[in-house]
This record gives sequence, C-alpha cells and structure tokens, in this order.
Amino acid sequence: MLAGFLTLFACQLAGEWLQRVLGLPLPGQVLGMFLLFILLCVRGALRDDAVPEGLSQGSQRLIELLPMLLMAPAAGVFFLGAGFADQWPGFIAAVSVGTVLTMIACGLLLKMLTRGRKQGHD
Amino acid sequence: MTELMHTPLFGLTLTLLAYQCAMWAYTRSGKMAMLHPTISGAVLIAVALKALQLDYFAYYQDINWLNFLLGPATVALAVPLYRQLPLLRELAGPLLVTLFFGATFACASALLLAWWLGATQETLLSLMTKSITTPIAITVTEEIGGITSVAVGSVILTGVAGITTISWLFERLNIRDDRLWGFCLGLAAHAIGTSRAFERSPVAGAFASLALCLTGAFTALFVPLAVSWFA
Repeated sequence: MLAGFLTLFACQLAGEWLQRVLGLPLPGQVLGMFLLFILLCVRGALRDDAVPEGLSQGSQRLIELLPMLLMAPAAGVFFLGAGFADQWPGFIAAVSVGTVLTMIACGLLLKMLTRGRKQGHD
Repeated sequence: MTELMHTPLFGLTLTLLAYQCAMWAYTRSGKMAMLHPTISGAVLIAVALKALQLDYFAYYQDINWLNFLLGPATVALAVPLYRQLPLLRELAGPLLVTLFFGATFACASALLLAWWLGATQETLLSLMTKSITTPIAITVTEEIGGITSVAVGSVILTGVAGITTISWLFERLNIRDDRLWGFCLGLAAHAIGTSRAFERSPVAGAFASLALCLTGAFTALFVPLAVSWFA
C-alpha cells in the first residue's frame, strides 16, 4: 500500500512541478491524475497488465476516505455569515433546477446519439 | 480544557466522531440520500462547533493537514478511470459528445440561474464546479478565486438533487439503458451519483465512474481557462 502512496505522491509532485514550469491554469493534482492515467495506459500497452496491487490498494483507501475529508469544508456552508444571505436563492436554483435540467439534456442527447445501437454492439 | 479544544488533536477527534455518527445514521437509514455522510457529518460538525462556541475558521486551520490528502486522493481517481477504459471505447463517440455538451451545460445553467437571481461574481465562481467531484472542485475553485465552502456545498447539494430525482425523471423520459442512466448521473452528480448508480447495477456504476472522471478532468481543464479569458 505504501508503494502505492509513493506512486500517487510522486505523480502529484510531478504534476505540481509541471504546473509551475509551464504556468498552466490547472491544479497540480489534476495534472498528476492525468500523468498517472497515461502511465497506466503505457504500462498496460507494454505489459498487458492489471493495476499494480499496491497502487490499487492505496488509491482505494484514499478514495474511501473522501466523504470524511469533505465534511469539514462542507460544514463551512453554515458559517458563510450574513454577507451570503442574499445569495441563497441563486445558489439553490443553480444546484437544484440546474442539475435536473442537466440530467434531462444529457439523457435526451445520449439517447438520440445511441439510437440504433443495440446493447454493446455498433 | 479550552486550551485543548484549540488543538489539531481535538479537531481531528471531533471530525472522526462526526464521521462515525454520520456513517452509522446513513447505513441505518438504508443509505438515504439526505443522510449521505458528507452532508450529515457536516451538519454534526456545525452543530458541535456552535454548541462549544468554537470558531469555524480556527477549527478548519487545526485540521487543515487533512485537506492535504485531497491531493493524492485526486491523483488516485486515475485508477478507476483506467479500469473503465474498455467500456469507454465501446461508446466513445456519443459519450464524448455528451460529456462536452453536458459539462458545459451543467456549468452554464448554474451560472445563468444564479446570475438571474442576483448572485455575486464570487458566488458564480464558486458554482462553476458544482457538477464535478469535490477534490477537483476545491482545487479548481481555489485556483479561480471562488469560496471553497460554497463550492463544496454546491457540489454536495447537486449530488443530492441528482440522486433524489433521477429515477422519476428517467422513467418519464423513457431512458432505461443502464449505460445511459449511469453516465448521465455520474456526469451531473459526480461521486454521490456514482455510488447511487452502483446500487442500480454494476454497469450503471461503471458508466457513472467514467462520467465522474471525465467530467472532472474536462471541467478542471476548461473552467480555469474560461475564467482567465473572461475575467
């Protein structure tokens, strides 16, 4: 599992470095995610191998931690103060109506694009 | 004792305790969307801080090192994405078109609705990442100058809006293919949607994870660029 953490941290470090050197507007860890994805693809193409055990475990552990890691920042919604009071209508409309509209639009588009294709075949 | 309440140890204990209670309530309720641990845990933390008369920002500073783990956790998302590669190839064209359209639509519809109802620029910047998974949303929001708490709140509530409406909606739209069902839910409602999709079927779950990773990657690429062009 620690070997997996090494890979994850090294990819993030490389991502942070790339971001600084190239002055990209993307967060370092997102670049790190792309780097790791490319590495896995290259590795898979060369060796036709599954994800290494350590990396698989390490990433699984971290992804499982996510709900806990997100609680403290989410609690901040209750401490936005009086300055945010007039923002609530827009905020609520965006997350509720916006999300429902997005799912309707995507569902209809994807249904139209895949019409004629049957399960798993072109 | 008051001294101890301002230490990272206390902050972490409080966080873990809130998480355990939230997880217990979520499991006991049969995974009710409104009780998702990130929501119920956040409520518990807020209540505890208010009851103990503690400052939220001081607490946040104390457990700030926990946020460090969001970095490697974001990198870790490459692993499930890589595992979905064969599924992606099968429907690559339609999925990519829907991804570009849907991720832009999610962002634009949120901006328009909030702007129309009088949201400030800071709020708008914090709403752009509402449909992507939180670790990416946090880093992107910090990058473009939004408010992290608002961004996280919008991500969580978007997830709740997604999973509470999808069954009803897609029944009306006559969409029953698990691949489409999962992809749309993962696209609009990220990780919360993805876990709901896994409850429907493994195929729906796989397509939701795929949409989750792709939407996150696309939005992370597109939003900072768009903001730097317009701002």
